Amino acid sequence: MFTLSRRRIIIAVVLTAMLLITLDKNGNGAIERGRSLFARVLQPFDTAVEAVALPVERAWNGITQVDDLQRENDALRDQLARAKGAELEAESAILAYRELLKLNLLTAKFQYKVVAAQVVGDSPSNFQNTVEINVGSNRGIQVGMPVTDGAGLVGRITRVFPESSVVLLITDPEYSINAQVLSTQEQIDEETAPSSTAPSGVPVENLTSTTTTSTTVPPSTSLPPILQPVSTSTSTPASSSVPPTTLVETTTTTELRVVRETGTLAGQGADRPLVLRFIDTTSSVTTVRVGSIVDTAGGNTSLAPQGIPIGRISAIVEQPGTSSYLIEVRPNASLDRLNFIAVVLYVPANSSQGG
Amino acid sequence: MRAGMSLVAARVLIVGLTALAIQRVVFAQHPIFDVKVQFVLALVVAAGAAGGADRGAVAGFVLGLMYDASGNTPLGLMGLCYGLAGITAGYVHTITPDPQWWLASIFAAVGAVVGEAAIPFAEVITGESGWVTRELMVVLPVVGAAAFVLCPLLVPIGRWMMGVKRKKWKAMIE
Repeated sequence: MFTLSRRRIIIAVVLTAMLLITLDKNGNGAIERGRSLFARVLQPFDTAVEAVALPVERAWNGITQVDDLQRENDALRDQLARAKGAELEAESAILAYRELLKLNLLTAKFQYKVVAAQVVGDSPSNFQNTVEINVGSNRGIQVGMPVTDGAGLVGRITRVFPESSVVLLITDPEYSINAQVLSTQEQIDEETAPSSTAPSGVPVENLTSTTTTSTTVPPSTSLPPILQPVSTSTSTPASSSVPPTTLVETTTTTELRVVRETGTLAGQGADRPLVLRFIDTTSSVTTVRVGSIVDTAGGNTSLAPQGIPIGRISAIVEQPGTSSYLIEVRPNASLDRLNFIAVVLYVPANSSQGG
Repeated sequence: MRAGMSLVAARVLIVGLTALAIQRVVFAQHPIFDVKVQFVLALVVAAGAAGGADRGAVAGFVLGLMYDASGNTPLGLMGLCYGLAGITAGYVHTITPDPQWWLASIFAAVGAVVGEAAIPFAEVITGESGWVTRELMVVLPVVGAAAFVLCPLLVPIGRWMMGVKRKKWKAMIE
């Protein structure tokens, strides 16, 4: 079955492969140069195949997808109309946010230059969750730089060629990054039993907001204790009888405290939610809730600056047999429809490879 | 002999680059049941089925290295896995020296499944995050079926690429 020469060939193949893997894992410069050269050699073949395949693909899509495209187009027009309305609201919110920043003498956290790029290829493998983009070292791209789209974090650069780069998506199991969960104290109080204990997360932002509410109180009704305003400008005894349709103006002062919990976020594969593991597993679950915002935590060794949105918590699952919880995060970025993205030209202060 | 080797090397390079481009441009963009059909792997197992285990190993190793060089895997990882796929498909020659198309296709499908299944395991062994998950239960049948279908088309290309001459049989006349 196996002749001597066949055995030799197979042994040689296995040993050479092992040697190459070892060299590449240790970051051999010659291999990186070889990859770069191979990318250049492969480029014309890609272009040629694309030139042949694209017209065929377009013709096929034109035949099979015209109705779907029409429906999608109509839906997108509706969506655009709604988005225009939302945009106005967002603009006013941004203005308010800027004013708040000025008031609090805070500086915007996210002040790094970005390079716009277009996704030009998908991973050919079933086991790598990557995309190829059309900018590389010629535009200042370096390994490790974070990549975002308009909605949130997309991944990080793992390989750089002169004219292109490979982005490892956040859903890849190899991807992990320091992340923080932002929950308002209000959100936590809504879902937990009222407790005077301070959460484990350090409240880093305390914003005070004043809300004026108008309430119509039915006659002879006393407000339950939980709905009692903290302070009222118009003092109304709860047990007193109020004539029908009397408008009672109350001014409540509520404290909006943002609680941050830091952990490590990792991918689990395409079409699967990300998993967040907290540094302090015992107390963190009480301070985060489904729907809480997750963004990058930053830090000296982190490969992304603080404040890039990642997504929202989609589920908190209790691990059977242990006291720990599995926190699933749904990414904000549309990873299956990536087209234009931005590479953040961020190099960590301590540029060793960290999460 | 040396000229023949150079010719085979040149053919492997050209066919490999073209197959890789087809993989990246066509099959990577159009998954079937969310699984990307592995065209390069299908070519490897076709070469193995056409030329035997040793030629399959060499074709798998070289095309796998090209796959590694264009992607994100450590250089040699896919070479190792595709080499294994080529060897497995080449086993068809232990049954018959000139296999029928369907027999070659069956061994090609088995080789493709072995090669594809080896990738996550090799990734785990080499310290990458391997995807030894239940998704393999979908990936492997699709990759195997695609190799089965593509094999009859790719065997002539694999034979030409590896410089294998088709055996001609003559009936013994007494």
